[in-house]
Amino acid sequence: MWSSVSDVSDEPRRAAFREHVLPELDVMLRVARRLTRDAHEAEDLVQDALVRAYRALDRFDGRHPRAWLLTILRNTHYNRLRKRTPDLLDDEVAQRLPDTGVDGRQEGTPERALHDDFDPMVRRALANLSAKHRAVVALVDLDGLTYQEAADLLEVPVGTVMSRLHRARAKIRAELERAGFPEVSR
Amino acid sequence: MRFSRRAVTLSPPDPDCGQVGAVLQAYVDGELGPQDGERIAEHLEHCDRCGIEAATIDRVIEAIRRQRPDLEVDALDRLGCFVDRFTDEVPPGDR
Repeated sequence: MWSSVSDVSDEPRRAAFREHVLPELDVMLRVARRLTRDAHEAEDLVQDALVRAYRALDRFDGRHPRAWLLTILRNTHYNRLRKRTPDLLDDEVAQRLPDTGVDGRQEGTPERALHDDFDPMVRRALANLSAKHRAVVALVDLDGLTYQEAADLLEVPVGTVMSRLHRARAKIRAELERAGFPEVSR
Repeated sequence: MRFSRRAVTLSPPDPDCGQVGAVLQAYVDGELGPQDGERIAEHLEHCDRCGIEAATIDRVIEAIRRQRPDLEVDALDRLGCFVDRFTDEVPPGDR
């Protein structure tokens, strides 16, 4: 554990860090779970990334904290993977990134109960997408990332995110239409 | 609706349905800049076809978003506490 170095002069720095980071914990944890596929591992990864972010705070210009934090999260994930498997090549590390399987848990809220028939079909349609398409849908639609944030995380151009998203949603829509759900029909 | 740092742009002043269709997804996702967003909104107000298409895209996205797994409050609380704790303890190495 670190020795305590807190002093009064650090308070503005701590306040700035909290201001930038606390609103992004939710999205960091969501993305970390997609990267690690494990709830505990994801928390460890976010904690590692937060420490790195705090140490690098002076290099952060204060703009787009989410993008900044997600970049640190991704790089921290890479480093952890490399430490565990030193022989892993860079492109192999990158290929491990876009795991974005949709969590199949059913939540028992009344709102969801209204969609008992519809939602399993949507989940099935999501599961039927290719990994690349599912990754983009998960990051943008489920985790709330912007196109640019998803592109940065996946290391692809923004245009690729847009076209994958378009195709993925079109496939989901087509499956729902075929299944006879009028909610998505024109 | 959010507006991202990388806005998709729309060049013509009065877009036709084809031009609107090309950026409709970005509009629904809040990825257009405010000016372009307003132009699309104006078009959608008087164009039934594009309006229905936008509403359909919206419904598909809404259906997908309902699959969003909830995060446990405990996990977020733990991370919040971690931030409080380590910012008091971590040496700010890069200063």
